[in-house]
This record gives sequence, structure tokens and C-alpha cells, in this order.
Amino acid sequence: MLKIEHATVIFNAKTVNEKVALKDFSCDISDGDFITVIGSNGAGKSTLMNAISGSLMLDEGKILLDGKDITRFKEHKRARFIGRLFQDPLKGTAPNMTIEENLGLAYSRGKKRTLNIGINKRDINLFREKLKALGLGLEDRMKTPVGLLSGGQRQALTLLMATFVTPKLLLLDEHTAALDPVTAKKVMEITDDIVKKDKITTLMITHNIDGALRYGNKTIVLSQGQKLMDIKGDERKDMTVEGLMKLYSKTASDSLSDKMIL
Amino acid sequence: MSTNSKKIISWIPRALVLAAALVLINTQLYQSQIIDTLEMGFVFSLLAMGIFISFRILDIPDLSVDGTFALGASVSALLTYNGHPVLAIFASLAAGALAGGVTGVLITKFKVQPILGGIITMTALLSINLLILGAPSRSLWKNNTIFTLMQSVLKDYTDIILSAAVMLLVFIIMFWFLKTQIGMSLRATGDNEFMVRASSINSDTMKIIGFMIANALVSLAGAMNAQITKTGDTNSGTGMLVVGLASIIIGEIFFSRHTIFSGLAAAVFGAVSYRFILAFAISLGIDTKFTKLLSAVIVVIAIALPVIKKSVSGGIKLLKERGE
Ligand SMILES: Nc1ncnc2c1ncn2[C@@H]1O[C@H](COP(=O)(O)OP(=O)(O)O)[C@@H](O)[C@H]1O
Ligand SMILES: [Mg+2]
Repeated sequence: MLKIEHATVIFNAKTVNEKVALKDFSCDISDGDFITVIGSNGAGKSTLMNAISGSLMLDEGKILLDGKDITRFKEHKRARFIGRLFQDPLKGTAPNMTIEENLGLAYSRGKKRTLNIGINKRDINLFREKLKALGLGLEDRMKTPVGLLSGGQRQALTLLMATFVTPKLLLLDEHTAALDPVTAKKVMEITDDIVKKDKITTLMITHNIDGALRYGNKTIVLSQGQKLMDIKGDERKDMTVEGLMKLYSKTASDSLSDKMIL
Repeated sequence: MSTNSKKIISWIPRALVLAAALVLINTQLYQSQIIDTLEMGFVFSLLAMGIFISFRILDIPDLSVDGTFALGASVSALLTYNGHPVLAIFASLAAGALAGGVTGVLITKFKVQPILGGIITMTALLSINLLILGAPSRSLWKNNTIFTLMQSVLKDYTDIILSAAVMLLVFIIMFWFLKTQIGMSLRATGDNEFMVRASSINSDTMKIIGFMIANALVSLAGAMNAQITKTGDTNSGTGMLVVGLASIIIGEIFFSRHTIFSGLAAAVFGAVSYRFILAFAISLGIDTKFTKLLSAVIVVIAIALPVIKKSVSGGIKLLKERGE
């Protein structure tokens, strides 16, 4: 479904600060895949995600979606079929607009925005139903500005917004990393539920090796902008956190931090 | 204390100010002065609503305002002078939208810094406005304006009714527009551009649309002002940005900016209040030369007030702690 060919991203090219953040990265994502991505800090995980979503342009390489070359598509155009969540819960929602207005914006994703009224009665009922399914009580606070919600609530709402109109691809960039452990677990469970229910092809960056192996059907390990491992099938089924750590230290020049085991 | 009683208490100083203002209005100004002031307030509320769109909704400073206000005045005066006062109003809307569009394109497509983009448009308009009007100013005393045209129907109250009607019409259209899909996208663009692009909205297009609407309204204010005062002046825009901002800030003392309705209401209420403050100042014998200085001071005070409040309450806290 999504094909990335020889993707390379260079920051500050031809200066002393030149940084190759992504180097000759290729991968093939099939329909229904749930791929997890891990790697140490600065490995290029976010760069990969930004390159796919179009907030960064590739310096070399190509991105194909269903065979169509989208390498030069702008971010807002790709957003018609890509939903995304950031690590920062503040990035995914408009704080001064109400819950229902945020959902209204997400609901018209991929369609042409018109002078029709933003939210009508029928929409509100649908929004309430969807919010109820999150189990956070947000369905009773639809007129509340999103800025008043907690980080976890905002992230759950962003998840709903990103998947409201089922995207072809869902990108998650450490979307539970800024939350407390209990909330992080809850948001991750909701994520897994939605992805499974709507069979959304997903690419999830995580800082947590355990989570990377527990969720999804494939795991990509990044190191210094390059794909180090591509773990799937039986090999992945039998893989343990310790096993992955060992494998990593054998091939990579740096090591995964202890924080990532937790 | 319940939030309700807190709300009521927080309204007491505002109610007192309002009551004092009404007493002052009654004692200081003649009835005709009150009506004149209201008229000008309604005309300038168009300016304030325009600035509300760029400064508050899009959260981008738009410095082309001084130029587009005078653009509206020039276009309006030229067409009124040539016998088309109604067409003049619509033409000034279009001209303002065009000028706003230029600023928008400069900022989004050519990556000019917002403040510089506005200044460039404003500077270009200095020449363009002179070209349009053909003279620095033009008197419209002998010409029909939209106000004189309605005189036979609305009699003595023509100016106040017509200016109020235009203000209300713009208020209602803006209120409706900001609730449409495009309007909501516009608001979100000022609120969180990241999220907007991730929701497949072209934030550049939204900014351009916002600038077009904002400057169309500013230009409309200039056009109405030219016809109601019967003079088109290419210098009439000077200081209008600060006047509009001062209006919004005054209005926000009474109306929060957090809903569309109260945000627009703040613009209108503030613009009218500003005019009354000005009328008082003049009735007290203050030279009209100083009115722009007054608006500058209002803006500074309003922006500095939260900072002053904070340092005062911080100082009190410190004193209390020392006393214990
Ligand atoms: N905008 C930028 N300008 C310069 N360097 C950047 C920029 N963004 C990221 N980098 C660098 O690229 C490398 C990869 O960053 P990133 O993709 O954010 O890593 P991570 O795997 O932690 O998400 C890092 O060394 C980072 O410092
Ligand atoms: Mg990252």
C-alpha cells in the first residue's frame, strides 16, 4: 500500500551542522499492517514520520501510495488519507475551539470545505456516540474548549479525530510518551481497539520495546537514520525484550537506553 | 464561593464603569452629539471587526490596515464624486479584499514576515490611493451619498439607522460565516496551524481568505466614513490600526473573546466606547490633535494592565509574607 524507496533526509546540507537524519530508508507497508518503530533518541524516527506525512520533504527517494507517487504532495494534501498523532498532546487539537468544533473539523477531512454550517444536529449525535465509546465522559462536555482537557483526554480526542474518517494510514509518533503511565496505558488500549476495529494500516513509533513487540505485526528498528532490523513472523513471535537488546548491541554502534525497557 | 456569585462580583466594577459612563454621557453631551458619536462608533465597529479577524482569529498582526482604510475612503470618494455612492460601497469592499489578498499572498507564498508584508502593502497603497483619488482629498459636499439618498425615507435619523444597519448586517454575516466549515477552518488556523494541516486544510489558503475578509471590512469602514463625513481623504487611514486595536481591547473588558459572539460584540462595543471616550476628551477641551496619542495610550495601558496587576499582587503577597 505504502512504499518508501531509498528515502534520505538531510538537515542543514552542505554546512558544518549537516545531519543525515534518514539514510537510504526503504520499506513496504501492506494493507492492514500495524508496524511498530523503535530506535534510540535521534535515530530518525520522527524524521521518518514527518517525511511520510509531508511536513518534511525528502532530499532523495520516493514515496508511493497505492502506486501513486506522492513524494511532492504537500502536507495538507496527504492529510486527506493520512491521520497522525504527535507526542505533544497540544499539537493535535485547537485549544480555543470546543470539542464538537474540533470533531467537526476532523469530520470534514478529505472533503472540500464549504460555506455549509460546520456542525449540524446529526453530526452532534454521531460525535456523542463516538465520544461515549472512548469511555472518558467527554460526551457530556462537547461545548467545552479543548484547552481545558487533560493531556490524556486531548490525546484520546486527537486519536478519534485522526481516525474519524478512516485514514489509509495512521501515523503515531510516541503519542503516549508525554502521559502518565496509567493514562498512557488507557490511550494505548483505545488506540489498539480503534486500529483493530477499523482495520487501519498503522505505523507507530514507540520508546518502549515491550510495547513495540506486544502491539502490531511487524517491528522496524532504526539506528542513525538507517533501518537496522525488520522483525516479523515467527522471529517476532519468539522475540523477547532481552533478545532484541542483545541483537541490537551486536549490530548497532550505540545502545538502546535502559529507559526503553520499562 | 460559588462560581456564579464570583461571576456577579466580577461584574460589579464593570457595571459601575458603565453606569458612570451613562451619567457622563447624559451630563456632558448634547443629544445630537450622542447620536453623532454612536454613528461614528458603528462605522468604526466595521474597522474593529476587521481587525478582530486578523489579530484575534488568525492571530497574525496585519499592518496593512492604515492603507486599506484609506483605500476604502479613496475608492468610495471617487465613485461617490462621480455619482455612484452605492456602487462605491461594494467597490471598496472588493478593493479592500484585493489588498488583503496581496498581504496574504506575500506572507504565505513568498514567506515575507507578517509585519513586513503588511507594511509593504500599506506603503504601496500610499501611492495607489493618491492615484485613485487623483488628489490628497476630495470634498463630497455637493454629491449624493448613501446617506443623502435615504434621507427622504429615514428623515433625521438616516445616518444612525443606516450605520447601525450596516454594522448589524456585517455582524450577522461574520457570526454566521465563522460557524461555517470554512469559517471554522479559519479559526482553527489561528488556533493551531499544525492541527489544521494535519486535518487536510490548506492553512495558506485560510490565511489569505482571512486577510481578504479583514481588509474588506476595514476598507468598508473607510468608505462609510468618507460618505458620512462627506470627505474622502487619502490620509484618513493614519493610526487606524491602533484605533481599531484600542477598540477591541476596550471591548474585551466587557466581553470575553472566547466565543465568536462575544468576540464580535467586544469589537462593536469597544469601537462605540472608544468614540465616546474621544467625545468626552473633546468636550473637556482637549485638542483633537491629541486623539491618536490617546488611542496609543489606551493600547499601552490595556496591554500593560495584566503585567501591572501581577506585579502589584505579587508585591502585596510579599509584604504579607514579611509581616507574618
Ligand atoms: N529540524 C531539524 N534541524 C536539524 N536537525 C534536526 C532537525 N530535526 C531533527 N534533527 C536531527 O535529526 C536527527 C533525527 O531526529 P529525529 O527524527 O527527531 O529523532 P527521533 O528518532 O528521536 O525521533 C537528530 O540527530 C536530530 O537532532
Ligand atoms: Mg522523535
